[in-house]
Amino acid sequence: MKTLEGLRKIREKAQQDMKLRSSNTRIKVVIGMGTSGIATGAREVMKAIMDEVANRSLSDVIVTQTGEKGLSSMEPVVDVIEDGKPTITYGNMTAEKARKVVAEHVVNGKIVSDYVVTSE
Amino acid sequence: MQDISLHLLDIIENSVRAKASLINIEVIREVMRNKLEFVIEDNGTGMDEETLRSAQDPFYTSKVEREKKVGLGIPLFKQNAEMCNGHFVLESELGKGTKLVAIFQFDHVDRMPMGNLQDTFVGSIIGHADVDFEIVLKNIKLDSSVEDFTFSTRAIKAELGDIPLTYPDVMTYIDQAIEEGIKKIKMEEF
Repeated sequence: MKTLEGLRKIREKAQQDMKLRSSNTRIKVVIGMGTSGIATGAREVMKAIMDEVANRSLSDVIVTQTGEKGLSSMEPVVDVIEDGKPTITYGNMTAEKARKVVAEHVVNGKIVSDYVVTSE
Repeated sequence: MQDISLHLLDIIENSVRAKASLINIEVIREVMRNKLEFVIEDNGTGMDEETLRSAQDPFYTSKVEREKKVGLGIPLFKQNAEMCNGHFVLESELGKGTKLVAIFQFDHVDRMPMGNLQDTFVGSIIGHADVDFEIVLKNIKLDSSVEDFTFSTRAIKAELGDIPLTYPDVMTYIDQAIEEGIKKIKMEEF
């Protein structure tokens, strides 16, 4: 069974980790989780992104959710938000595409232009 | 929606949109009464009587800002429960919050499968780190003995301090804790 003791160890490690950085959030990944997003696989996209972020130990990335934004025909959608850069919205996402976005955009800073629907 | 866990996710998103800071979720399997029950209760903005009525109407949505004015989340969940000889109640009070109860006949031939509860819970918890979740899974057996599992984000956040829930090891921890709980209650087989 998972215990709170395990969490204490994670906290100690995380605190060491955070000390070494100037900013704690470098990039934010936002998954649209409205009804049509959910019906078209947004949960699997969320899961894939969480997996990638955990497996690659990307401790300066925030993964979060939002409701519908009127892009229903392109759901599931994912925004990648970085300070001082235009927000990139990816559409028609799948778990596989989402993994690629994490690997190329979030990790290496290279926008995956094939999946981009808007950029502002 | 292909399964109940996706309906749950949709309902949780409603609660978040209603600015809930706490969402209580209960999933109860009761063998003796042949039922599978879901209770989702939030402390969000709540609805007045008219909104409450129209929320269960397939041609209504609260999302005024968007073009498509049709919200299907609640009506579909209601329909799926009632189709399975079940029961659906939505209660709400302005300023207090909303409570949704959906009951399915467990062995009804048309009952949707449970689906992936783990991904629904973990995604919601991580994706809404500023909302607290209290999750209770309960299996009430034939002899009235109860197997249960409780998960609370408050305890976890207290332990973590300023470390975010999206910290990689924390996500893995939460994912594993929820997985263990679901397996303990054997809900992955529902």
